[in-house]
Amino acid sequence: MIWSWIPDHLGLIWQLTVENAYLGLVPPLVGLIISVPLGIVCVRWGWLYPPVLSGTSIVYAIPSLALFVALIPYTGLSDTTVIIPLTLFSLCVLVPAVVDGLRSVPEPVRQAATAMGFGTLRRLVQVELPIAAPIVIAGMRVAVVSSISLASVGQLIGISSLGYLFIDGLQRDFPTEIVVGMACVIILALAADLLLQGVRALLTRWQRGDADVATRRVLTRLTPGGAR
Amino acid sequence: MITFDHVTKRYAGGTLAVDSLDLEVPAGKTVVLVGPSGCGKTTSLRMINRLIEPTEGRIFLDGKDIHQGNPSTLRRGIGYVIQQTGLFPHRTIEDNIATVPLLNGWSRAKARARSRELMQLVGLEATMARRYPHQLSGGQQQRVGVARALAADPPVLLMDEPFSAVDPIVRASLQDELIRLQGELHKTVVLVTHDVEEAIKVGDLVAVFRPGGLLAQLDTPERLLGKPADDYVEGFVGFDRGIRRLSFFDAASLDLQFDAVLPEDTSAAEAVQVAKQAGEPWVLVIDAERKPKGWASTANLESVPGSARLASVPLVSYGHTFRPDSHSLRAALDATVLSPTGRAVGVDEAGQVVGVTSYDRLRAGIQTAQEAADQARGSAHDRAAS
Repeated sequence: MIWSWIPDHLGLIWQLTVENAYLGLVPPLVGLIISVPLGIVCVRWGWLYPPVLSGTSIVYAIPSLALFVALIPYTGLSDTTVIIPLTLFSLCVLVPAVVDGLRSVPEPVRQAATAMGFGTLRRLVQVELPIAAPIVIAGMRVAVVSSISLASVGQLIGISSLGYLFIDGLQRDFPTEIVVGMACVIILALAADLLLQGVRALLTRWQRGDADVATRRVLTRLTPGGAR
Repeated sequence: MITFDHVTKRYAGGTLAVDSLDLEVPAGKTVVLVGPSGCGKTTSLRMINRLIEPTEGRIFLDGKDIHQGNPSTLRRGIGYVIQQTGLFPHRTIEDNIATVPLLNGWSRAKARARSRELMQLVGLEATMARRYPHQLSGGQQQRVGVARALAADPPVLLMDEPFSAVDPIVRASLQDELIRLQGELHKTVVLVTHDVEEAIKVGDLVAVFRPGGLLAQLDTPERLLGKPADDYVEGFVGFDRGIRRLSFFDAASLDLQFDAVLPEDTSAAEAVQVAKQAGEPWVLVIDAERKPKGWASTANLESVPGSARLASVPLVSYGHTFRPDSHSLRAALDATVLSPTGRAVGVDEAGQVVGVTSYDRLRAGIQTAQEAADQARGSAHDRAAS
């Protein structure tokens, strides 16, 4: 290990970390924007949920690199080529999280809201989504961490991220670079996770200690097929 | 006033939940729908705020067909309380109560002020305003549910088994609270329960449903106990209805006796004489403030020296007293049954004796009260018939 490499390349490390953060965070956010309406539709028309779930699972089973390569003819060597597959992957976690979250709203609460004169949309926004939030955020935590880690694979098609450090370190037989790259990915993932936990704490002051139950529920439902 | 006009609810598959229901809920009264599960009582309730739409027939609220217009607008004028409370777990108590005022476009400050007012009305401490529902006990949550239903001051209140999920002591206090509130607010209340005791306690009118969604009898609690329409209602009303009916007759109608009530400074000889004149085997001894001290038997009085004062004679406990000015015949009967002498002591607010009653006098009183009630019903029926 040649630790002096680090201070000499702080600028590069920072730039790659920012690029990796961007590629890791945008897909789950876009995924959330897609999953909320999709989840609502799946709860409203229950028969839609199994095919949607199969669809997202099948997409999740495609290796990320294969998807990147398949997209190059359409989106070229741009960030979009990485963002689209990672967004699709995040749906596999986020759609079930939204569905589970909405289904966790107790029936008497829904009924009372209707009986007090909430319209469908207002009930959704003011009652159902806030109650679903802890489970949705638990899903977001999984999606964000996995997306940050997957973003580095984009380096294989030349989309800049912390993956650069792995490939460069390998080619030059320089382990320090690889270790630094791994450390940065882990720190980035932890920081994003911490941020989401903060958001959850802010949105769910009304809960007891059962927020962690929601997280565990999402985590046990997901047993990801290893690294991609 | 709520009017059901030939209302039928048939579910897909043909199950008949409510069968051609005609029912009138007078404004400002509490009408309790009671019956076994599957008798259509809850379905009937939920048709009033259109959570369920009838298959046939119409429902009117103050003469207006509720099926015309927006259901959300209708619902904001109808309070709704359910067994599981349905409180919003993500909102504080004050915001839960402010729900309908906020929906109606009140400012947050005004809505919160209204919440505080209602918390006081239903007996919740102001310190609970900022708590969340899960931090409250079941009984407290149910009070919040009632406060939330009353927040926008709706003329109609629907209550679906509101007190079934709490323990019997809390339930009794919530029932008392509802009766007190109703005395102040005079809402048109429709309450569903499977507990006939609750129905008789809180209802001005009780509608007994039979399985299959048919109305078996709609009557005052007293008449329901006194004259059940048929065997089904009689069986449903349950055991000892004769005794329970006495709760609806005032003890004031009792002919109390004061002949054998004597101050404690009376001599034994005089007491024996008074008792014999009155034909009473027992004398009630009272103190200088006219409060009861106990019973003395004539046999016992004859065995002590005639000059002895009643204060020094051993007395038998007077047991429970009753209040002729506010209690029912049931309380008077209870006090009589529990008294070792078969005589109950009637007292006023200050605890001073106003008279005593015995089994014989009670029997006469009960008979008179029942005959009067039956006669009133008879003439009411005559009026209805003519």
